[in-house]
Amino acid sequence: MNVKSIFGLAAALVCGALATGLAQAQTIKIGAPLALTGGLADEGKKQAIAYDMWLKRINAQGGINVGGKKMRVELVQYDYQTQEQRAQQLAEKLIVDDKVDFLLAPFGSGHTKVVAGVAERYGVPVMATSASSDVIFNQGYKFLFGTLAPNSGSVENLIAVVTKGIPSAKRIAILGREDVFPKAMATVMSDAAKKAGLEIISLEYYPVGALDLATPIAKIRSLKPDWIYITGYSKDLVLAKKQMADLNVKAPVVTMITGPVYREFIDSLGPLAEGVTSASWWHHSAQFKGDDPWGSTKAFYDEFVAREKSDPDYVHAAAAAALVALQKAIEKAGTIDKAKVRDALASLDIMTFYGPIKFSANGMNGGRDLPIIQVQGGKPVVLHPESIKQGTLKPVQ
Amino acid sequence: MKRLPYVAFALWFLLLAAVPFLASNYFVKIATFLAMYAALALSWNFIGGYTGYPSFSTAAFFGLGAYTGALLQNAGLWVGLAWACAAVVTTVFAAVIGFAILRMRGHYFAIGSIALVEALMLVASILADLTGGGEGLNVKIMPGGPDYIGRVFLYTMLGIMLAAFITTVLVDRGRLGFGLRCIQQNEDAADMVGIDTRRYKTAAFALSAVFCGAIGAAYASWVAYISPSDSFSILLTLKVPVMVLLGGPGTIFGPIVGSAAFVMMEETIWSKYLEYHQAVLGLVIVLLIFFLPGGVLRVFRRRAAA
Amino acid sequence: MDYGQVVANGLMIGAVYACIAVGFSLVWGVLNVINMMHGSFIMLGGYLTFFAWLHLKVSPIVSVVPVAAILFVVGYLIQYLMINRVVMQPVLTTLTLTFGLDMILYNFMNLWFTATPRRVVLDLGRLDLGGVILPLDRVVAMGLALLLTGLLYTVMRTSRIGRAIVAVRMDRDAAALMGIRVNKVYAITFGIGALMAGACGALVAVVFPITTSVTGLFLGKAFVICVIGGLGSVPGALVGGLALGLIEAFAGFWFSPQTAILAGFVIMLVLLVVRPTGLVGRRGYE
Repeated sequence: MNVKSIFGLAAALVCGALATGLAQAQTIKIGAPLALTGGLADEGKKQAIAYDMWLKRINAQGGINVGGKKMRVELVQYDYQTQEQRAQQLAEKLIVDDKVDFLLAPFGSGHTKVVAGVAERYGVPVMATSASSDVIFNQGYKFLFGTLAPNSGSVENLIAVVTKGIPSAKRIAILGREDVFPKAMATVMSDAAKKAGLEIISLEYYPVGALDLATPIAKIRSLKPDWIYITGYSKDLVLAKKQMADLNVKAPVVTMITGPVYREFIDSLGPLAEGVTSASWWHHSAQFKGDDPWGSTKAFYDEFVAREKSDPDYVHAAAAAALVALQKAIEKAGTIDKAKVRDALASLDIMTFYGPIKFSANGMNGGRDLPIIQVQGGKPVVLHPESIKQGTLKPVQ
Repeated sequence: MKRLPYVAFALWFLLLAAVPFLASNYFVKIATFLAMYAALALSWNFIGGYTGYPSFSTAAFFGLGAYTGALLQNAGLWVGLAWACAAVVTTVFAAVIGFAILRMRGHYFAIGSIALVEALMLVASILADLTGGGEGLNVKIMPGGPDYIGRVFLYTMLGIMLAAFITTVLVDRGRLGFGLRCIQQNEDAADMVGIDTRRYKTAAFALSAVFCGAIGAAYASWVAYISPSDSFSILLTLKVPVMVLLGGPGTIFGPIVGSAAFVMMEETIWSKYLEYHQAVLGLVIVLLIFFLPGGVLRVFRRRAAA
Repeated sequence: MDYGQVVANGLMIGAVYACIAVGFSLVWGVLNVINMMHGSFIMLGGYLTFFAWLHLKVSPIVSVVPVAAILFVVGYLIQYLMINRVVMQPVLTTLTLTFGLDMILYNFMNLWFTATPRRVVLDLGRLDLGGVILPLDRVVAMGLALLLTGLLYTVMRTSRIGRAIVAVRMDRDAAALMGIRVNKVYAITFGIGALMAGACGALVAVVFPITTSVTGLFLGKAFVICVIGGLGSVPGALVGGLALGLIEAFAGFWFSPQTAILAGFVIMLVLLVVRPTGLVGRRGYE
């Protein structure tokens, strides 16, 4: 190698180093553990879609405005396999090895807690996109923020809608899955129902590994409830509704959290889905307008439909909203310094396509008028709030 | 020549212990998992390797240790003591249950041991008032920055691994090991020769529980939150025997080599292949079964003998 | 709720359980192999049935035959090419091999089919027998399950290959000495195991939602049923399946859904200690 080529090589190396260095200095890295395999694989991919939508939009406009300079965003993704150990390991890997600036939480509630635990020690802000149970935010973590409003608001609205629409519905049977979120929804319901003067004729939990729900459902039938309330993940709820039909279990009000919110629930059940109610954390017919990459609920809805050929549900929206909140906090703080962004998040008070985002002391997004929907004519119809109401509660035939 | 493996192990141990000073916390975490799985593998080796009883109870002991340790810690017990008590409780449980389960052999024992995992998981779920059930259980968070915590748990796991290793050496060299090997070769003959098979088997089963219980309890403190399905993980209970199989069952160093190789392999594959990592790992396992039936160590032994 | 309904529920699900387990039990009893892919085979059968129904408008009841045939071929090949190499090795080796293979299968199923729950929508209505309600699709599934199990039993008892399989199960070496090509018998048995899993998957597609997330649950059920009923025998799987169905139904009725599942495991553990051959089985492999 002669002198010229050595110089050339050196120059190339230096340029390369500078370029990478510069490129790195100009991107914000966000770590995203995704459930691509395992028990939550179906739910987890919704997050992936939402993240991607936001990422494309934000980079299309040059990135996030950090104190006057635009920085592009890079998403670092791994499959955490719906396993707690992987989630914990992944959190540390993303922070220490990939050197991400911020973290997104995995889909699973318990796994969110574990990731938050790691992030807390490092002082890295974590955005929880699908956590609505108080139990997830009860460890005093200061760096954990979640865009979903607490569960209690949803059941209160639900009870209000039902007691007004079908006042004769007084006896409620509750069947919940023994898993963080579904169980939380069953417990808040039983508390709220008691307060509202309803009679809880049955409260049972089915295990995570349940293959068949015929027995608990048949038990419910014998009690002749006015209101049947079941929580679980999509496959549990599809099974439950089908078995209700099989065993001729009827009630004027049937609620499944959060079945009707998801397209696959309605598709799988066909006519059996008719009349099922649910609470949701967001509905695409809302008319929010905000200063975010979409600007309005409609814009988000349109892009999603064009891309996925189906309606977005609250999981998609909350995931995108989490990134919006992070983005806004960074803009507000004017820096990507983690502690300052964390403070900016804590004091954030904005309106977005998703609705208002303002975090309470424990990191949960503030309560709001959560929508209640019912499947009518094969489509989810909004019953509440008034501003976007599309129909009234009908008893299940 | 016989000293070489011990020296190698000592060096490996020191290397792992030195990781906090050599590399980032990510590597500290990997080192901690290496130590953790080595200890789990060494534990399994007692009942699965030496005695030849294919146990799938690792997760049962791990989970039991986790919940016991968590509950004791939340009740105010000092962390280290909680871990020790969890280990004791798990061992007693293993001894008692072993009495019943160890009567079966081969496949039946294997099935019984898996049933233990599922049954305990359901019990943890059902006793929701105590354990939080499906909602999970918060464990008191150990104060300290990430470096400090990383070190605490690395050395905890290394300590447990060392204890498991020393126990393995003692068992391997001693009468218990001899008895267990006899049982593996021909249980009825061993019985006739005068070995108290029931006592020996129970001892092996109990030994396989001690360290798993301690690790479970330490793990609970580490992540500060446990739930039934994650603490009694079927995947864990299946992976650990594979690790020992990979390294060489019934040997002192087999579990260590096997677990290290498996963890490193998994780590590399998982981070490199986003969509296919499971298939790649499965493929590796399949190839290992075909080409390394006695584990890695047997290959070395054959070479050494030749 | 009257006991009639509890019993009906238990028997209906029990028949499906029996179908889930019979292939698994056969492979375990004859080949000494615990096939960790069994749950995935069932789901594979389920997915094939679902897609045939969705795209080709083929009813699951008809799909059972081609799906079973496809799974037979899959099982045969896997056994012949891979498992045959390790079939005489200890249970841990074969279990690990099938565990690894299952990881590969699961990964691809997850990627091709995704984990979104699918369901074949067959509204057949229901039968009301004096207050006890029998959903017709479950009755059909139960009927088919019993039919398949009965068919298998007949094949095992009367056909040459069936008798060869039983012979190998009883004494491998003697069977070889009698001129039976043991490797081929093994491959056929494994193929039959996969076939039953696939057929069961077709039935299951009618009754349960199909998703890759539940393969482990089906496998777990198969384990319990084999122990309760007895290894390696078709009547054993039938008895075990029906027994488990009834146990879960009654425990769920008297206590809670969680206790129902726990009861299954507790009974299984008790049986393992007291009568490991199961309610019906002969002395199987140790």
